Amino acid sequence: MRSKRRMLFPALTVLILVVIAAWMLVIGRGHEIYLDNKTLEGYQGQDYKAFERVVVTVKDKQVAKLGKRERGAAIWIGQDFKMTLEITEKKGDEPVVKEVSIKLPYDMDGIIINLPAYLAGLPEEAWLTEFVPAPEEPEEEELPGEGDVFGMEGDLGLEGELDAGDM
Amino acid sequence: MSGKNNASVGSRLLDLVRSNAVPIMFIIICAIFIPMSGLSNSYLINEIVTRMGRNLFLVLCLLFPIMAGMGLNFAMTLGAMGAELAIIFVADLQIWGIPGVVLAMILSIPFSAVLGWICGNILNMAKGREMITGYILNFFMGNGVYMMVVLYIMGSIIPIAHASIMLPRGYGIRNTVSLLHMRQCLDDLLAIRVKGVKIPVLTFILIGLLCLFIVWFRRTKLGQDMRAVGQDMEVARAAGIKVDRTRLISIIMSTVFAGFGMVIYLQNMGNLPTYTGHSQIGMFCIAALLIGGASVEKASIGNAFLGVILFHLMFIVAPGAGAYITEDTMVGEYFRVFLSYGVITVALIMYEAKKRMVKSKAGQELAEAQVRAGKEAAK
Repeated sequence: MRSKRRMLFPALTVLILVVIAAWMLVIGRGHEIYLDNKTLEGYQGQDYKAFERVVVTVKDKQVAKLGKRERGAAIWIGQDFKMTLEITEKKGDEPVVKEVSIKLPYDMDGIIINLPAYLAGLPEEAWLTEFVPAPEEPEEEELPGEGDVFGMEGDLGLEGELDAGDM
Repeated sequence: MSGKNNASVGSRLLDLVRSNAVPIMFIIICAIFIPMSGLSNSYLINEIVTRMGRNLFLVLCLLFPIMAGMGLNFAMTLGAMGAELAIIFVADLQIWGIPGVVLAMILSIPFSAVLGWICGNILNMAKGREMITGYILNFFMGNGVYMMVVLYIMGSIIPIAHASIMLPRGYGIRNTVSLLHMRQCLDDLLAIRVKGVKIPVLTFILIGLLCLFIVWFRRTKLGQDMRAVGQDMEVARAAGIKVDRTRLISIIMSTVFAGFGMVIYLQNMGNLPTYTGHSQIGMFCIAALLIGGASVEKASIGNAFLGVILFHLMFIVAPGAGAYITEDTMVGEYFRVFLSYGVITVALIMYEAKKRMVKSKAGQELAEAQVRAGKEAAK
């Protein structure tokens, strides 16, 4: 009975830690979100025009002020992305404020959201695409254990080369 | 009568100075260096508060092995390595902010515990030489095993998804891993500003919880066992305490807490120097604890607090003071490294000298007692 109780405590601790870790994995997934105010052309034979101006606020912080054909960025932790958009559809119009909530896919790091397409109520495939960063030029990094760490310059610390005459 | 009193006060004062020689020396150094450095008080306070939040947790984890008589745990670096491995996985999984920190702490537990278990078993085989063994073990694990795992196995055998943390050759981790989205998230969460000084309340709460845990732990059966083992292993064994097991637990606890401390440290820094992050941690934490007045066999929470304040105060002001004295900024930089290594050496020498003095005094007393007994027997 006592040994069972002794086993129970560590097992319970491990279980709690695993549950917390799993929970952190879900709520802590970070995303970089790119918000496009660009015209979506020719989707099912129709164009969805870019807005005159969109002001994007995320967590009470203004992250972008987008004119036509402009892109803004925000970072978000979790899958329920919420933002407030202040949209001016055409020049001279009164801005309209909209609260937006978007379910983000877990497996995407960078997500591009086309605002005109999203606000037109189109299906996800029309307004959501994965952001794939351009491949970088591989740069040389000096790694530990590589190179001449002892400053011997290939001669094992000996000055000059040994030859038979030195013997 | 008053002469006798004065003499006893004088000897008590001398004893106090003798037993706190290292912190007193550093207080004097800092008092001289602060005006020379030309740094403002608010800057100094800000820096000290930041560095306390960053380092205190790591320094406090050194108390467990000291409690068990294993001296200064140079192998706490193993816990830091465990945390670094966890942080690499968390960065690869793209878990940001507080959840990232919590996940890194949880993931660091198995790494740190296994490394601590290995270390504890080796130290049990090297009783009496724990510090040097721990120090060399730290090199073996840090420059050998850790580097092999991170440089060659990660990306080739252990899958790493993100190219941003991987070397361009397709395996191994980059020299620096960015923790930008985790940077100071713990420090900023409940932070308050008092006259321009940012106080990372949540980090200090975590440090406070560890202090409470240490105070509570000392009173538990295991804590009492550790202290008994620390005082005399043979007596503890005779009293039925499992000495090796107790020592092993103290090292595992120290390593696991060092892992947590390293996560706190890295979130404050905002980046992970993959191959060098852990290398200096043990040395600086031990130096800080010794400066606070701790010794190889006795250390307290107060020593850790005082040590971190004095060590980092010296660290901040030394370059400026060095530049003021020599008109060369590099000298100040060398000076603080010299001091951090020097203080460990001085403290260890002082400890050894004190130990020998006590031993020889005890020997003298024993010899005198034997002579007296012999004389009495002859009478």
